[in-house]
Amino acid sequence: MIARLTTVYTAIFAAVLAGISFYAYWLIGGQYRGLLAPALDTPEGQNGYTTAMGHVLVTIVAADVPVLIVVGLLAFVLARASLRPLFEAREREQQFAADAAHELRSPLATIATVAQAARLKTDPETREHLDTIARTALDASALIGDLLTLAREPRPGLLQREPVDLAHVVTTCAREFDARATAANIELRVRAGGAIVNGDERRLRELTRNLLENALRHASHTIVLECGGDATAAYLRVRDDGDGIAPALRGQLFQRFAGDDANGHGLGLSIAHWIANAHDGELELEKGASVPGASFVAKLPRLS
Amino acid sequence: MRILIIEDNLPIANAVRTMLEARKFAVDVATDGIAGLDHLLRETYDAAVVDVVLPGKTGFEIVREARAEDVHTPVLMLTARDAVEDRVRGLDSGADDYLIKPFVEEELIARVNALLRRGDKPISAVATAGKLTVDTGSREARYDGLALELGTTEFRLLEFLARNANIAFSRAQLLARVWDYDFEGSSNIVDVYVSQLRRKLRLAGGRDVIETVWGVGYKLSA
Repeated sequence: MIARLTTVYTAIFAAVLAGISFYAYWLIGGQYRGLLAPALDTPEGQNGYTTAMGHVLVTIVAADVPVLIVVGLLAFVLARASLRPLFEAREREQQFAADAAHELRSPLATIATVAQAARLKTDPETREHLDTIARTALDASALIGDLLTLAREPRPGLLQREPVDLAHVVTTCAREFDARATAANIELRVRAGGAIVNGDERRLRELTRNLLENALRHASHTIVLECGGDATAAYLRVRDDGDGIAPALRGQLFQRFAGDDANGHGLGLSIAHWIANAHDGELELEKGASVPGASFVAKLPRLS
Repeated sequence: MRILIIEDNLPIANAVRTMLEARKFAVDVATDGIAGLDHLLRETYDAAVVDVVLPGKTGFEIVREARAEDVHTPVLMLTARDAVEDRVRGLDSGADDYLIKPFVEEELIARVNALLRRGDKPISAVATAGKLTVDTGSREARYDGLALELGTTEFRLLEFLARNANIAFSRAQLLARVWDYDFEGSSNIVDVYVSQLRRKLRLAGGRDVIETVWGVGYKLSA
């Protein structure tokens, strides 16, 4: 950020300086030619003119270079000074978000835990109410966690990375989802090809789970979950055979709360996108006119 | 089965007690770090559920000090935060597992039961194989006295191989035993980790510590 601003400032100034210098050179050249006009036709005159203009050029460059260096330094200092409050404000904001999330989650943790303990010794009707309380508190806490994640820039420093085989991630998530898919009368087809990435396994499972949740809400009969890779990149794809994504929605698909359904809170795809980005990868909606439904593919750099 | 809860948030402590007692566990509760460590050192428990943020002593400190006193009661850490550093620090301090608050009751019970199963077959905290020592208490691995900087999975793999030195394991066996996956199909994740371990062992002067057994897989020779 600071480097970019410094470069831009310096480049603009360098362009202006070059313009002025060229103009000065041209102006001085004109003056000399006017003064030397009678002698300019002789070889000596011509020679003198060339030498003089050479000196002029050296002088101009000698004056420009230090100015440019000073301006570059000044630009750097200025950029840093003007950006620092912004960085600090951003940091304070993040800290505030983290603190607020923590403060909100502790009472939710108490609510969820106490409600779950209370349901162990009560009649069935009250148990149902307590279940609702516990589930709502757990959902709210998960939502706060998601918002906190999205408030941060996706970067690898926020991950706990180790070599992970996407095939493991895929098979584990498939096993988790299989019962739910069967209950919804949807076939979950899995093709797990080995592809090792330097990733945070817990986060990669979250990405896969979010894509599967989304697919489960939209699929008519089948969901295909697959992963694999070539020499440089690994991919993880979740495809459903539902109605697909309306063209109007495609542009803002990964934005927060862009979800079109009442079930999800609309952060699942944003989180999946965030996780792919944090792994220096990307998450895309594949454009395939021939297949119905939506196909999401996460492309991640493969471990070399 | 006797379980110790160290948690300063009284409603949560009591709720966890109710959950565990409903499963017929005997439960003690300590509400600050100092009393908690005291209980852990004096009494015999089959497992402990320990909060991270506590008055007096943090959960990390409790576990580290208990391990230093040679108390290897399996510990489940409860953490309110989902920070990466916390998870790593928790496991580094010698905790066996962690659970993020708020949790689902079944998850708590499942984790506690897993810890108790592990506690059933006590294993010495330090595995030694030739010049290699792997200390699960302090989570330190050394070759010829030199400390090895290992990630969580690298550590688990090296510990497993050291405990079962001179036995050859196939990749599938290692996947099942170290990675906890019954994974169908092939994966070269084991090879990736073995080559990382070999590189780190070589830096400490260890050559051919992990051998390739043709047609089988790998073994650690001692």
